[in-house]
Amino acid sequence: MSRLPVSEQELVERFGPHLNQEPPGGWNHGLDIDREVKTHCCFCGQQCGIKLKVANDEVVGFEPWYDFPFNEGKLCPKGVKRYLQGNHPDRLLEPLERDASVEGGFRTVSWERALDRTVQEIRRIQDAYGKDSFALLSGVSLTNEKSYLIGKFARLALQTANLDYNGRLCMVSAGAGNKKALGMDRAPNPWSDIPLADVVFVAGANVAECAPITTSYIWRARDRGAKLIVADPRVTPLARTADVFLGLRPGTDSALMGSILHVLIENDWLDHHFIDEHTSGFADAAAAVSGYTPEWGASTCGVPADRIIEAARLWGTSDTGMLLHARGIEHQSKGVENVLSCINLGLATGKYGKPGCGVSTITGQGNGQGGREQGHKCDQLPGNRDVTNPEHRAYVAGVWGCDESEIPGKGLTAQEIIEAIHDGQIKGLLSICFNPAVSLPDTANTAAALDKLEYYSVIDFFLSESAQHADVVMPGSLHEEDEGTTTSVEGRAIKINAAVPPPGNARRDWEIFLDLAERLGRGKYFRYNGTEEIFDEMKVASHGGTADYNGMTWQRIEDEQGIFWPCPEPGHPGTPRLYEGGIFAHPDGRARFHGIEFRPPAEVIDEDYPVWLTTGRVISQYLSGTQTRRIGALVEQYPEPLCEMHPRLAAELGVESGDLVTVRSRRGNMTTPARVVETIRPDTVFIPYHWAGDRAANQLTNTALDPISKIPEYKVCAVSVEKAEGHVEIRDRRVTTLQERAAGGGHTAGDPEGRAAR
Amino acid sequence: MNPAAPTIVDPLVGARMFVIDQSRCIGCEACVQACEECGTHRGQSLIHLEFVERGATTQTAPMVCMHCDDPTCAEVCPADAIKQNEAGIVQSALKPRCIGCSNCVLACPFGVPKYFALPDQMMKCDMCYDRTSVGLAPMCASVCPSQALWFGTEDEFEETRSGQLMHEFRFGNQVVPTKVATVVADRTAGPVDVMTADDAPRWQDDPFGLGDG
Amino acid sequence: MPLDLRAVAIASLAVLVVLVGVYLGSGGLRWFDAALAGYLIGVLMAVFATVYRYLVWLQRPPTALMNKRGWESFRSSGRLGRNAIGFVGLVGTNLLTQGFIRRRSTARWAAHQLLFWGCILAAAVTFPLTFGWMHFESVGQDGSEYRAYLFGVGTGTFQAESVVGFVTFHLLNIAAFLVIAGVLVFLYRRLRDPGALAVEREGDFLALAGLFAVSVTGLFLTASSLWLDGAFYSFLNNLHALTVILGLMYIPFGKLFHIFQRPANLGVHFYRAEGELGAPQSCRRCGEPFASEMQMSDLKTVLPLVGFDYRTNSGGSDDPAEPAGNYQDTCPRCRRASVTLAQCARVGGFG
Repeated sequence: MSRLPVSEQELVERFGPHLNQEPPGGWNHGLDIDREVKTHCCFCGQQCGIKLKVANDEVVGFEPWYDFPFNEGKLCPKGVKRYLQGNHPDRLLEPLERDASVEGGFRTVSWERALDRTVQEIRRIQDAYGKDSFALLSGVSLTNEKSYLIGKFARLALQTANLDYNGRLCMVSAGAGNKKALGMDRAPNPWSDIPLADVVFVAGANVAECAPITTSYIWRARDRGAKLIVADPRVTPLARTADVFLGLRPGTDSALMGSILHVLIENDWLDHHFIDEHTSGFADAAAAVSGYTPEWGASTCGVPADRIIEAARLWGTSDTGMLLHARGIEHQSKGVENVLSCINLGLATGKYGKPGCGVSTITGQGNGQGGREQGHKCDQLPGNRDVTNPEHRAYVAGVWGCDESEIPGKGLTAQEIIEAIHDGQIKGLLSICFNPAVSLPDTANTAAALDKLEYYSVIDFFLSESAQHADVVMPGSLHEEDEGTTTSVEGRAIKINAAVPPPGNARRDWEIFLDLAERLGRGKYFRYNGTEEIFDEMKVASHGGTADYNGMTWQRIEDEQGIFWPCPEPGHPGTPRLYEGGIFAHPDGRARFHGIEFRPPAEVIDEDYPVWLTTGRVISQYLSGTQTRRIGALVEQYPEPLCEMHPRLAAELGVESGDLVTVRSRRGNMTTPARVVETIRPDTVFIPYHWAGDRAANQLTNTALDPISKIPEYKVCAVSVEKAEGHVEIRDRRVTTLQERAAGGGHTAGDPEGRAAR
Repeated sequence: MNPAAPTIVDPLVGARMFVIDQSRCIGCEACVQACEECGTHRGQSLIHLEFVERGATTQTAPMVCMHCDDPTCAEVCPADAIKQNEAGIVQSALKPRCIGCSNCVLACPFGVPKYFALPDQMMKCDMCYDRTSVGLAPMCASVCPSQALWFGTEDEFEETRSGQLMHEFRFGNQVVPTKVATVVADRTAGPVDVMTADDAPRWQDDPFGLGDG
Repeated sequence: MPLDLRAVAIASLAVLVVLVGVYLGSGGLRWFDAALAGYLIGVLMAVFATVYRYLVWLQRPPTALMNKRGWESFRSSGRLGRNAIGFVGLVGTNLLTQGFIRRRSTARWAAHQLLFWGCILAAAVTFPLTFGWMHFESVGQDGSEYRAYLFGVGTGTFQAESVVGFVTFHLLNIAAFLVIAGVLVFLYRRLRDPGALAVEREGDFLALAGLFAVSVTGLFLTASSLWLDGAFYSFLNNLHALTVILGLMYIPFGKLFHIFQRPANLGVHFYRAEGELGAPQSCRRCGEPFASEMQMSDLKTVLPLVGFDYRTNSGGSDDPAEPAGNYQDTCPRCRRASVTLAQCARVGGFG
């Protein structure tokens, strides 16, 4: 049903991605502004403070917000150029309905038509196949208020269990690991703890490109004399200066951590008092790693044994230490185990609940932290409550004014929803803030699923690659067009302020959901006059849960430049650091060790697919690129995916930098330029995943899921690489002048097919 | 006018100084992107940032104008178009005078000035004069996530950063004192000797333990 | 800076040439209007100072060498003819229509063109009048018809009330309006754009203020004679003369001196073309060509003259055992890379 209405090329011609190169009025226009609006960057979980400059209700520039404590004015290039997503030629201004007979495949329709059609289809599908046959996929670039509203909308208006979100592709492994071990899903530390650490251990996190501002926190620790350990298959810009670099093989993280724990135990670099008083299960953990000698670790991980010992020594003998991990260890079919193996290191050395100590995940998505707490995750209700727990259900039903039985049970996770579409269980889909066609593994599989849907409706501000498959597209709001709160990587709730109103007939997302609920006959549950009313209900709904926002108000959040949850009562100062005094969130106050035995990745290299592939991000792009692939200055910085490979592998393949290579996996193949660098393991290639269609790295990745978190294994699969026809010149710098830009530029040049346009 | 603009104060208020510590650069290009937002040259980025040699390392080379005490660029300018202000800031070429000869581009020991063919003029970093002249930090140093580009007082530097400030560079026989500082472990070893650069040691000399360096 | 006696002599000679020109062109002062003597004195002072400053400027080593090379390149064997044609084109595009400004900003270009043509027009009228090279005489008794004389030679007659007459008598007013419009566009840009305002130098405002004052006081004179029966005319006349004379004397010292410097840009075009025909300079570090050998060689000649020594050997001896390297043979990109690597070496290493 939902096949692309017209050719991809025609869709791209009409809806983009096109590049916005200049601020409104052009560069020569003087910056004569009406106001500056304090808000936050929409790209990534650091949620840096930024001031947007507004003139004539358009965002025309930015100014560093020096007074916001997290970033003190610092921004990465995405933050600097975020303002160019407004006033964009691709911006959706009217509702669209697919119509293959018109140019671009979509005709403009009224809001009445778009909403009525969507509701008719929901009713038709649910009447025919049951309530759960209509799913909702959401995303965590949305505010807490929208996340809460969507969770409630799915349960009470759509009445489906099948609601999940793209946080499933982000930090669910960390969340699950933290809950199991510590009893609560939040990074245990404010970032101000990082500079207090004597050793900083970065595992599977390309901090410089994916959480750039964290770099300055790490350097502040190093300026005090802290040592830096980095575990990564690539020498990332931060790893370049590490004191100990552990260049491990993809998918061997729990083996590395197990080996380090083994060395800690061997040398008695342990905090026995902490283990005895504040934890349980140490014996299991120790037993699991009893055979994980440094030599075993070296052969399993491909890291010199002496470096494993040195890392253990630094970690074990330092009074304070922070371990920061991210998608590198979490995007695996053993993501939760990897996280638990890191937590074991923190618990074994007593590095919790005091200044400069903790094991923290670096949340990736804008509101990755807050979004998952407010209940738009298939297994959770607001306040990080469990949708299967009768008490939790009863409390939330009370806040919502519904019967507990009206709240559906646990639904399918994001990737499982795609598989359920293939199985015919799910027939209809509404999605917002999620571009599964690019971001889920095995893009051919995802596209085929979207095409099987009887009805697909999308709320978005640009026509994303997923929206190309839709029947109805409703133009929603950009980050700067609505207000609300988000919760940053630190667990700090912050205020997002609207700088401008939505343009044209685009509407604020929450208003769209209110209208849909009304038409579904469930309007009585959705009587809000503004987003602040949603917040006020949300904080009550969160009260008593672990993520308790009850004591917060918008006013307080702004006045105090953010409040860390839990903040259970008015007047409560919030909780920057968790587990102070070694009191954990499990009922007995103790943290849990877990015995982690190494498991290999779901797919390992073999004769046919002899090279490891790992995927990741680049500094200038954000997630599936719906926004950042439309900002000219960011696209120029890294216009298309490059396949990084070591000179040894390149020599075997007869490949030089700039040569096109074809990378194949069991799922698909792609052809892209090679960049030959000594900064990656010789047995591994890396491709960033931000692009769509034939440039999508997710054509290759594996849909294998972690059994607990259901996160896909983006970071490890087996591929073959061969030289292909063609060569492009790869520049070592971005074009920086208008004139170079006019001449066309970026890191690749001389590309006859104009591939850089996408 | 910008309603939030503070009142005009002395240039480089409170003796704040610019420090560049290239070793910390993560190559993110926030500075490059922010530079073109600077009011005096909107749309043109004047800071330099490129890989030293991407095949071997992720080390990047950021470069702002070092604001030499005795600027080579100004001395070789036939048009007398490059001026230093009272605060020691070496300004971009005076537009009416610059004749586009590129002498400054070729003579600057730091490789800073940029020649722009369409206006037929040189432009260079002026330490965000529109910002520093009203007491704001330059764009690049404001946004720099690693703080490889840093703006503050000498006291702040000593309180918060390791290393020592160095204001002198050696290029062959020529020692060039600069207003912008860089960071060295030990100041007593003398000026940063640029011509011995290619002997610099690798931080990770064999990152993957391949045994062949 | 010590007084340059050679420049004084040449500047004095230039003043003398102007005086002789005035004497001859005005028929032995017959057509010279004594009321304009103040303006003549202002012009003579401006001529002296401009020529003096120009000569001093030309003596700066980089300027002298660029000047020499520019002419050499222009005369370069076999291309003089082509260069002469190119020269005419460059005068048109760079000096008259100033396309290089338009590429920066259309508004800036429009403002500059208004100022430029306003000033050219005003100069074309006032200089011949002041020098007595041009004057008007009425034809007949009723004062309705005039004849313009150039170097004493009568040209066509025109009716005072005709369009030609109106335009002729109001040429200076037209020039004033052009200049004022240009000044206002510049001011508007600067006051609206904090960035433009920040790089504003006092001299920029002074130049604009001077042009504005000259134009406005000139317009006052017209207003006085047309609508106020000559009220305040004498005062206004003195005021206008004062602003003009001050303006003339400002030319060599302020921003307006670029009128004389900017044409050097034409020489650079020939210099660049000549350089591209010759051998390129390769970088001592990466081996890539990055400039013309001629320009790098010129720079290496100029640098010691302005007090720099970028050579690598001690004292730059001719001893073959101590080869004379030069940091200046490094391309700008490698310079930046080298500075980074050298700094990294001083803090422990690089990637």
